[in-house]
Amino acid sequence: MNVILSIAKTTVGEAIRRRVLLIILLIGVLFLAVAPGLSVLSLRQDFSVLASFTLGVIKLTSAIIAIVLTVYLIPNEIERRTIYTILSKPVLRWQFVIGKYLGAVAALGLMMALMTVTLVAVFAIMGKGASMDVILNLTRAPVMFFIQMSLLAAVAVFFSTFVPPITNFFLSGGVFMIGTIFSPVFDSISSNEKTSGLVKMGAGIIHAIVPNFGMFNIENSVINQGQQIQNPTFFMLKMLLYALLYICACLFLGVIVFDRKEV
Amino acid sequence: MSLAIETINLQKTYKSRGGGSIGVVNNLDLQVERGEIFGFLGPNGAGKTTTIKILLGIIYPTSGVAKVLDKDAGDLEAHKKLSYLPEKPYYYEHMTGLEIMRFYASLFGIKDRAHCESLLERVNLTNDMNRPISQYSKGMQQRVGLAQSLLNDPELLFLDEPTGGLDPIAHIEIRDLILKFREEGRTVFISSHELSDVERICDRVAIINKGEIVAQGRLDDLLAGGRIEVTADNASEEIAAKLRTDDRTVSLGHGRLILEMSDSEDTGAVIDALRSGGSEIVSVIPRKKRLEDLFIESVASDNQLKGRKMSKMTGESTEPEATNEEEAGS
Ligand SMILES: Nc1ncnc2c1ncn2[C@@H]1O[C@H](COP(=O)(O)OP(=O)(O)O)[C@@H](O)[C@H]1O
Ligand SMILES: [Mg+2]
Repeated sequence: MNVILSIAKTTVGEAIRRRVLLIILLIGVLFLAVAPGLSVLSLRQDFSVLASFTLGVIKLTSAIIAIVLTVYLIPNEIERRTIYTILSKPVLRWQFVIGKYLGAVAALGLMMALMTVTLVAVFAIMGKGASMDVILNLTRAPVMFFIQMSLLAAVAVFFSTFVPPITNFFLSGGVFMIGTIFSPVFDSISSNEKTSGLVKMGAGIIHAIVPNFGMFNIENSVINQGQQIQNPTFFMLKMLLYALLYICACLFLGVIVFDRKEV
Repeated sequence: MSLAIETINLQKTYKSRGGGSIGVVNNLDLQVERGEIFGFLGPNGAGKTTTIKILLGIIYPTSGVAKVLDKDAGDLEAHKKLSYLPEKPYYYEHMTGLEIMRFYASLFGIKDRAHCESLLERVNLTNDMNRPISQYSKGMQQRVGLAQSLLNDPELLFLDEPTGGLDPIAHIEIRDLILKFREEGRTVFISSHELSDVERICDRVAIINKGEIVAQGRLDDLLAGGRIEVTADNASEEIAAKLRTDDRTVSLGHGRLILEMSDSEDTGAVIDALRSGGSEIVSVIPRKKRLEDLFIESVASDNQLKGRKMSKMTGESTEPEATNEEEAGS
């Protein structure tokens, strides 16, 4: 356990200093900060427009950070040969992979926390008269994003054990996009009687394998008071469990590939 | 006593782009005894790093046996008692020397800060240990590398080209540290293509070329068969003729005689003969075979056997990639 935590800690230290990530983060934070001043958004003095824009910024920024951070996580260790000294110590490969992953997730969490704090500050200062309750309710969305992005990071770590970073960037990005929008597509395909069985089977396979990122979306419910989820705590726990299962599966497969990998 | 390292018929092949396979390590049999400094020598691309990585379980052999400290290569128990300094190592640049040490220590479950500090002191980095690694010179980084390789008080150290790219002063510093390791009873497996490094410190060496061992043994034995040069004044044509044999070269000019002979011959008899003939001995100089000669001899003859050009083989200018391509094409 100590070994995993040490590796995770070092990974955090390194990740929060990576210039690319900091630049992406900075752009995200800037967008959040200037959002209330954007004329398109302020034209209608509407809370929900500003809320969905800012949450969208956080989601997109964290998705990019999650992918950029993780596709280089292990390849960089190999490239710079820092992995050799680590693996020559009494460290098992699965400990290394898990440590790297946990470190990446922790760093991602820190960066997302910063964006969430910015979000709260923006609404508290010029939030179109939203009450603190409403604002805090809004922060449920970034918590959900974090669970989602941790899952996305696990997907990218899995791919990184066998594809190079750039390929992985598009692969993981693609999985995230498909996972976000595929569910309704799948529903319409499978309910349409005219589509061929083959297409239906293909859609079914994608639907079964690709994590359903769309299911995590709670933006509408935190923005529009009228669309509350029945039991939000239960919903979040359910999604957390869903994500954890997928994360374990991705890391498990990743470790299996990495265990025989020549580094 | 059991061996520190043993390989039997170790083999590592990679697939080449053409679809064939390239043997990077071929039929490698190594026996490294405990407590010795073992030099693993060969030109660039010979397969040294590959072998070390196999011994550490970082990559896997295609076939053959690799035992390290009586365990299979890569065994976690063995890893508690060994350490590795990779070729041209990099460290997490955001960390200081001390932080790096504490990170590596934590991988052994060592929390003792003073232990880390004392090892840094041992490699003369006390004053710089709180500076980020990115500000360290190459030599300083290499000393951090050696300090971290001592964290677990290892029985066996793998040092891959430990003096590569360092200036002569740093060379000597590192060499002295390595000699101390032997005094402390550790086994040191050191790879190098720079012979001057290992010439004076290794007990035994293996010379590897294109993945195969071309010479292996005690350095003293391998370097046996040196020449001795005897110089004398007031020598006559007559005595020169008497001393001249097939195995000696004798030259005479203005009364000065220079005679070169194998060191296995009786030098005393030659000196006596010269003296009794009225000559004065000026000097008797052993011209020892140097590791360099042996190296070039072994590597060159090996390559000639395979019908290759000499110039490519001393390895100094041949990049591993180039060698690889050449192999892949043939
Ligand atoms: N992953 C790999 N795939 C193909 N060839 C490789 C690989 N790794 C090393 N080689 C080749 O193996 C040979 C030996 O490399 P190496 O062990 O690094 O040599 P040395 O350390 O003696 O300089 C080189 O020709 C190198 O190009
Ligand atoms: Mg090498």
